[in-house]
Amino acid sequence: MTNPEGRGRDDEADSSAEAPAPDGFEWSNYADEDIMHQKNEINAVEAEKIPCVGDKEPLSALAAEYQSGSPILLEKIKVLDEQYAAIRRTRGDGNCFFRSFMFSYLEHILETQDKAEVDRMKANVEECRRTLQSLGYVDFTFEDFFALFLEQLESVLQGNETSISHDELLLRSRDQSISDYVVMFFRFVTSAEIRKRSEFFEPFIMGLANTTVEQFCKSSVEPMGEESDHVHIIAISDALGVAIRIVYLDRSSCDKGGVSVNHHDFIPTVSSSRSGAVEPFITLLYRPGHYDMLYPKRPS
Amino acid sequence: MIDFGRVQKELQECSKDSQASGIKVSPKADNLARLVGTIPGPIGTPYEGGTFQIDITLPDAYPFQPPKMQFATKVWHPNISSQSGAICLDILKDQWSPALTLKTALLSIQALLSAPEPDDPQDAVVAQQYLKDYQTFVGTARYWTETFAKTSALGVEEKVQRLVEMGFLESLVRSTLDAVGGDENLALEKLCSA
Repeated sequence: MTNPEGRGRDDEADSSAEAPAPDGFEWSNYADEDIMHQKNEINAVEAEKIPCVGDKEPLSALAAEYQSGSPILLEKIKVLDEQYAAIRRTRGDGNCFFRSFMFSYLEHILETQDKAEVDRMKANVEECRRTLQSLGYVDFTFEDFFALFLEQLESVLQGNETSISHDELLLRSRDQSISDYVVMFFRFVTSAEIRKRSEFFEPFIMGLANTTVEQFCKSSVEPMGEESDHVHIIAISDALGVAIRIVYLDRSSCDKGGVSVNHHDFIPTVSSSRSGAVEPFITLLYRPGHYDMLYPKRPS
Repeated sequence: MIDFGRVQKELQECSKDSQASGIKVSPKADNLARLVGTIPGPIGTPYEGGTFQIDITLPDAYPFQPPKMQFATKVWHPNISSQSGAICLDILKDQWSPALTLKTALLSIQALLSAPEPDDPQDAVVAQQYLKDYQTFVGTARYWTETFAKTSALGVEEKVQRLVEMGFLESLVRSTLDAVGGDENLALEKLCSA
């Protein structure tokens, strides 16, 4: 087989495909383009159903989803209803954890106007920037994403020309271009933290994906749409020094008879300047494969 | 909307060490959405000594969506279509990330030339040959490199000169040669029939 044109062989390959290919038609080419196109279309349909960040809904809306489903889940939602006032959904596009984290954090700052927390966050963001540089990332690959996040952080503090309202925060979080830039910022932060402390994360990653730290970051952290697992959550919580509570809504039941809902608090172990136990101000609801935001009932 | 500011920075970054890496990226026209990448064939492979051109098209959502890349230079490789130049590489599809750049993508393609993955083929015929008759595969790949990746890169000016001497406009000669992948005879046929 030294025919440089290779036509004979390729024609044979083409004719073995399911449908006869017209001259010059590239099945291999078509398939990839087609799959990409289809993926984009699926995303567009999904986008119409749920915005990047939804409206606040009562927990009865969650219960309605399971009316004909598992009684255990309905029992658990009843328990949740006692502790939580509302749920806010995010789009199920693989970025839901980061989007939930983004909105919860910025909304918290908007409501508390906690300038000390903003300063602390900015210091951690600078630390992440230095980490990326020391890991060999070229500045232009991440600087736009950092700048956009810092801009959002600045704008939720009131009293400046660029300050925004809660409605505007919601609009921006739904604006795909702003929202995706912030998601990508968090992906950079997460990847940097995992790579920086690779010895710490290695056993977790081996257990989760049976791959190297480097490969995990490349294939499961940095690409958009890759779902987050506890490794991502530990990393971002540590890197930014923000505690996160995850409430698990699944079919598992405890033996004691009564139904309870498990939760786990991810408390930053490093780079936290705060002392003592921190009550997380970010609470997310995890259902296998998806994260939404939860709003605890405030003591009256 | 393509982030052209970023594309500019990428081009600058790439030209800084193109001497050392051998990897080049340049715009095709004044529109930064269409570019041409150049990679040298890796040493110690059947592609050694060849210079491979890759057509790059940036989608609107770049850098959130991957650049479209395909070989303009014909190449015999299990993961590259021998007819269209389409490349089978995960980072050009769902494993793309805005953390990557045109240069890192071209470096990955260069690495793919060094380490074919015949179990995940783009060109089934080449992959079969690679697995069943490796010596013939190496011979064919080397022959293609000699035939397509060397002459088209080195002899372009001579071809242009000869065709211009026949009375065709230089700009037309260049675009036609480009369109047929540097094949002088095909270019002449096209120019005559135009």
